[in-house]
Amino acid sequence: MIRRSHARHITSSSLVLALLLGGCRKDVFMYEVDPVDLAQYDGNKDREKTNQEYAAILHANLFQTALSPGDLYKIDQCIQSIGDKQLAREVIISNFMNKPGVIIPTPEEMLADVDGFITATYNRFLVRNPTEAERTWFRNTIEADPNVTPELIYFSFALCEEYQFY
Amino acid sequence: MDRRTFISRTGAAAAGLFAAPYILPSGRLFAATGSQLAEHVVLVMFAGGVRVQESVMQRYLADAQADDVEGNILYNMLNGTPPPQKIVYGTGLGGINPIQPILGQTLQQQGTLFREMRAVNAGHYGGLNSLLQGGTASTQGLQQKPLNPTIFEYLRRHAGLPATKTWFVGNGIGNSVPLLNYSIHPNYGARYGANFFAPNITFGPAGDQYLANARVYHPEDQLMPVYEMKAFLDNSFEHYGTVPTSIGNTPEEKQDIKAFMAEMFTRTQNGTIAHPPVHDSGDLTTVGYACEVMKWFKPALTVVNMDGVDGCHSSFTGYLASMHRADHAVGHLWDFIQNQVPEMANNTVIIAVPECGRNAEPNAILDQNDWYSFDHSDANALRVFGMMAGPSVPASLSVGGESNPVGIVTDVVPTIAEVLGVKNEVMGAGMLHPGTLSLFDRI
Repeated sequence: MIRRSHARHITSSSLVLALLLGGCRKDVFMYEVDPVDLAQYDGNKDREKTNQEYAAILHANLFQTALSPGDLYKIDQCIQSIGDKQLAREVIISNFMNKPGVIIPTPEEMLADVDGFITATYNRFLVRNPTEAERTWFRNTIEADPNVTPELIYFSFALCEEYQFY
Repeated sequence: MDRRTFISRTGAAAAGLFAAPYILPSGRLFAATGSQLAEHVVLVMFAGGVRVQESVMQRYLADAQADDVEGNILYNMLNGTPPPQKIVYGTGLGGINPIQPILGQTLQQQGTLFREMRAVNAGHYGGLNSLLQGGTASTQGLQQKPLNPTIFEYLRRHAGLPATKTWFVGNGIGNSVPLLNYSIHPNYGARYGANFFAPNITFGPAGDQYLANARVYHPEDQLMPVYEMKAFLDNSFEHYGTVPTSIGNTPEEKQDIKAFMAEMFTRTQNGTIAHPPVHDSGDLTTVGYACEVMKWFKPALTVVNMDGVDGCHSSFTGYLASMHRADHAVGHLWDFIQNQVPEMANNTVIIAVPECGRNAEPNAILDQNDWYSFDHSDANALRVFGMMAGPSVPASLSVGGESNPVGIVTDVVPTIAEVLGVKNEVMGAGMLHPGTLSLFDRI
């Protein structure tokens, strides 16, 4: 009899305690932010690459391997030896494109996912995502002109002014 | 069209003709005001610091060393008998075999010699700048592009020349030589710059590895889309600093230069470059490629730099040999123009002027013949000679002398401008060294 009364007392006390504790808990609000793409275009590239930096990055972008310091020195000399620097870069890019081991998607791969190709190319060369306007322009260009191959697109990116800066 | 409309449109068109300047395809305003004396000029920057004593004064060893031997070692440029003994400047062991002259008549006989001109800078880069800018370049940094316009920019802007009509052929890429093809002047600059090659690099081992064997793209089907995409990318690039500016070769000119380069790689491989008969130095091979540039592009202005003579800092023997070779180079250049480039034959003025002289007193370095070497920093380093030949240049004329200096090296700029018809524009730009005149006005 005593044991039953004691157990009922404990049960009721626990219930009251649980209700009290539960009743004191505050509501929890969780605040979050929308995901922001930090690789968006910000035009913040204001330092011109040296000839050696340009050649090193270009080779890495095209072959995904590094050039030796000796090779970089020679390419620097070649660029210095030509007055029209854009022409010098064109010739060096053309030389690279003629070497085995260049990693470029095939036209079929590009056409299978044009948007993906454009984004990947911007990421690879300009280290940012394209704006919608840029994506649209390149999509239209690729779809309108069968002569525009991934190689030529890579060529134009390697030649553009933004690629001369970091 | 009713009468009122006709009159108003005709009036507007007439007003436009009067108000709007005539813009040539090159972007220049109005036509050149002067008449040309010739269609081509070749300037030889001769050749790394030359003392008047061993060049125009023909003192050989008599002034510089303890040997009383005199004579002329510039066989193609100057009249005069060679030294009778102690020949060290030729080919073969000890340089005992002089290089035979190329020209039947010396340049002195064909043109005008300024026996004693004044340099405005005793250093190489300052001297080269003074030859190309017409100024003292006294505030010019050693690794800085010219501050005032070069003759290339004057010509391209005021004579409306395309980029491939002005060429600078350098003997290397050291000593800031590649910086000299255009200035950073805001009214001129890169867009009026000259094309430049340092052919011993461009077509040497490094160029063979990274410039030869370039993939050839179709100019319209492939390169035009590339340029269009590049233009789009460039327009998207919001850059607020200095965007590298091209010297303005058109796509057609770029194709032409690429074709020239491909040809040069092939001919270098085959050993058929138009080198001088003796081409055992960098200066001489440079001149060989300069000949190829002239044959291919027929430039209005070709500037060639040589600097082998500067070995005089540590070897007087080497200095004599380099000077003899620089003369051989000039002879070959002039002979090539007259006999291998019909468009330029009898239509080219050649000018040769050192950028500076060398000291009166030697330094302490003795060479293999126990001859003292010479640096360039004193008043004697400002003593130079100059010469020119070609159409409208008086033949067999000697101007000035040791006691009567005539001409400043900065005169080269208005002289070239006068030959090519833009002297008034260049003089009027107001950026030449005070007292600078065309050498034609010094005669």
